[in-house]
Amino acid sequence: MYKPTIGMEIHVELKTAGKMFSPAPNEFSDKPNINVSFIDVALPGTLPKLNYQAVELALKAALAFNCKINQKMHFDRKSYFYLDLPKGYQITQYTTPIGYDGYVMIETDEGEKKIAIERIHIEEDTCKSIHEEEKTYLDYNRAGIPLIEIVTKPVIKNAQEAMAYLTKVREILRYLDVSDVKMEEGSMRCEANVSVSKTKKLGEKVEIKNVGSISYVGVAIDYEINRQIDILTSGGIVKPQTRRYVENKKATELLREKEAQNDYRYFPEPDLALIEISDDKIAKIQNIMPQLPDQLRQKYREVGINEPTIKALLSSKDLVLFFEEIYEEKTALVAAKYLISGVLKYLNKHNLCLSETRLGADDYKALINYKVAGELNDQQVQEVLIALLEGKGSLDENIAQIKDSNVDDEAEILEIIDEILAVNQEQVAAYKKGNDRMLKYFMGQIMQKTKGKVNPQKAQKLLLSRLS
Amino acid sequence: MVIMCLEGGKMTNLLDLELIKIHELLKEGKIKPIDLVEECAQRIAASDLNAFINLDFEGARAQARALENKKVDNILFGIPIAIKDNIVTKGLATTCASKVLADYVSPFDAKVIEKLKEKNMIIVGKTNMDEFAMGGTGETSYFGPTKNPLNKAMSPGGSSSGSAAAVAGGLVPLALGSDTGGSIREPAAFCGLVGLNPTYGRVSRYGLIAFGSSLDQIGPLSRRVIENAHLFAAINGECQNDTTTASEKPFVVSDIENGKKYRIAVPNFCLTKVINADVVSVFLACLDKIKAAGHQVDFVELPYMKYAIPLYQVIALAEASSNLARFDGIKYGYQASQYDNYDDYVTKTRTIGFGTEVKRRIMVGTYLLSSENVDVYYKKALQVRRELSDEIRLAFQQYDLIVTPATVSTSLILGKDRNPNEIFLQDLLAIPFSMSGHPSLVMPVDKVDNNPIGLQIAGRYYDEKTIYAFALELEKNVRGDESV
Repeated sequence: MYKPTIGMEIHVELKTAGKMFSPAPNEFSDKPNINVSFIDVALPGTLPKLNYQAVELALKAALAFNCKINQKMHFDRKSYFYLDLPKGYQITQYTTPIGYDGYVMIETDEGEKKIAIERIHIEEDTCKSIHEEEKTYLDYNRAGIPLIEIVTKPVIKNAQEAMAYLTKVREILRYLDVSDVKMEEGSMRCEANVSVSKTKKLGEKVEIKNVGSISYVGVAIDYEINRQIDILTSGGIVKPQTRRYVENKKATELLREKEAQNDYRYFPEPDLALIEISDDKIAKIQNIMPQLPDQLRQKYREVGINEPTIKALLSSKDLVLFFEEIYEEKTALVAAKYLISGVLKYLNKHNLCLSETRLGADDYKALINYKVAGELNDQQVQEVLIALLEGKGSLDENIAQIKDSNVDDEAEILEIIDEILAVNQEQVAAYKKGNDRMLKYFMGQIMQKTKGKVNPQKAQKLLLSRLS
Repeated sequence: MVIMCLEGGKMTNLLDLELIKIHELLKEGKIKPIDLVEECAQRIAASDLNAFINLDFEGARAQARALENKKVDNILFGIPIAIKDNIVTKGLATTCASKVLADYVSPFDAKVIEKLKEKNMIIVGKTNMDEFAMGGTGETSYFGPTKNPLNKAMSPGGSSSGSAAAVAGGLVPLALGSDTGGSIREPAAFCGLVGLNPTYGRVSRYGLIAFGSSLDQIGPLSRRVIENAHLFAAINGECQNDTTTASEKPFVVSDIENGKKYRIAVPNFCLTKVINADVVSVFLACLDKIKAAGHQVDFVELPYMKYAIPLYQVIALAEASSNLARFDGIKYGYQASQYDNYDDYVTKTRTIGFGTEVKRRIMVGTYLLSSENVDVYYKKALQVRRELSDEIRLAFQQYDLIVTPATVSTSLILGKDRNPNEIFLQDLLAIPFSMSGHPSLVMPVDKVDNNPIGLQIAGRYYDEKTIYAFALELEKNVRGDESV
């Protein structure tokens, strides 16, 4: 029985104002070669200048992934010749990654699993090469953009775990606000190293590069595991290769054979001073660290919010930040429910994000309090919510309007109750025999008849008085 | 003493005057910057030293004219200067004396150039050098060797060959060179000049085309010690674009204190057989003068000094192999015209673009950094470098200065086939201070058969002022004159 072993390498672009070692803007652009400084094209005489913002974001990530920190660190040069490498070397961290020996918890079918992170290091991106027929175009906008590379130990067992891991990493980085983590724009890129073996000794590993989405990573890994097992069972050997995923074939294909191990001639970058990360600095970053998804998940479970709701909340950082802003233990359940059934549903329907609507946190909080106090019914809450999202009237105006249109007159309500009881004699009899569930049935009828415009507590009181 | 001549009411031979005299004439309005520029132009045109690669007299004249309306506010105002051709200058080609950059024009000025321009110095041209500063005789230049003005059959030393020859030949009053393992100090010694390799981190390397980044420093070349100090003061200071520069308070000439007696260490290594006998005897005679002047001179043991050459070959060449990787013909510089694919293109560009010595050093450096060698050579070298640096630092706890001969012999004959190691060997006594990052200055102390012999004076980190104070006193002593 062949067992797969997978290690992941994730490159993440950091959300800094400038590049890793130059003052050029770190911005995504459709126009090539506009965010470029002399340093980015490696003009003779230029020197790298460290962007401390990038170090801080990397530190934030390293701490969030429970890494130990190299408090005395330096950069190294990684040398090779390629079109997209302006200096002929990449400035990276080889011997002193900012973070090492960390972990991430993921959820698998067999419960929680710890994925060991070997290292997180800082490096600069290469420029982008675009090949067209005979020609190659180089876009230096990307050259020098700060990256962190997150490398796991070979501890992932299957495609599901790999996908769960990527989802988790993306979620954490998004919460930390260190990166856009958009796989489609390339601000998050991942590589999977896949091998299979019957024994404890790991098999020959194959690297799958630059897969465009998390689900494709799953497909690519499954394909690759099967490909390797097929080769081995038919007596062949797996060659060390770099392969890429081809979306329309749902398969991996050969990119290049890995020849003798590439010799990158690493040595410490002499153009940059040593960097010291003080205990104070670490404490300061830890202080401004936002609550991470795992902490929030735990908190929400404890107040009894159900799993689908938690999942839906955590899937949107905007939504969860909004939720946290109005969070109170006693209203959390109701507030969470309407965020999903009301707000998120509306957002998805209109393809909006929360900041594009007119809904304010204070109004939402007040609205939820009306509901908890029993002054509004479900339908009314939904109506007010839509009005607030669309900016139609203030909260007070909306509430007043609802109260105006409410069936509030006791005589009128009693008349409706009498009508209902008259046509439901069987149910009345059942109730009188002790079937309490009938109460709910009658209430449903009342709500239907009044189109929900009756105070449910008042209606129930009157109903009980009639039934007794 | 040079006699100033009046020809048709015009003063000539201004360039033979000391800087302070030129400055006084400018200040008194007796001469104008353009007079200096024109004299430079005439002398360079008449010179066969091959000291310059590119000249910019159009720019120099325009600048000189523009200065006529400005106040002469500092000693470097209106003074022509030559710049080693590995320091980038906006609009004026910077070639590194290499085919690979033969037509390269930088879109920006090096930090030191900005600083010289702030002082209103006038850049007249870019000086010849060993290709990418790799060499000790100037002979690896793509543009041919530079001659020593004191004896044209001899090398002016290298790699700052043209800068030294231009100053010694009276073509310009001052020049900037760069030093990685003696490239300012060796030519200073061979041309009878004063040359400073500042404390590592004193002068911004932004705009200096890198050779060995952890060793490279830009420094001044001049005829007199005080002139050297003035130029150093102008270029030193922390730079935001070079994070290896120090936040230390910048050196100013008024920091120099006169009349102090110093404790001076002399490594025993200076008297070994590797050093030419003439050099040793001049050195010993100089030590006598120093002692006679009331300074304490002790011989000390610095055992790691003897590893200087192999240490340099590992560290500098490893860094060089990486620093020169950017010259691939993709972004700028020489481009191979016929090729099959990317690999072939880069190979041809570099094979044709670089000269023999540069290629040799890139290959050695690449070999040293390869994964199978990096521990054996490079990491070992870093360890030895630390030991050597500690040893020198320790000596400076007891001594104010360390003095040694500048070079192991006098100047070398041009055009002779020699083992590359012979050239490296000249820097035997300069390299230790490059490795430790200590400042050291070379100044002329005597001549043998009309070949100048220099003394090297090294000081504590950022203590160029003590070096200058001592050198000023010694200069008076050896010249036997009172003029400063």
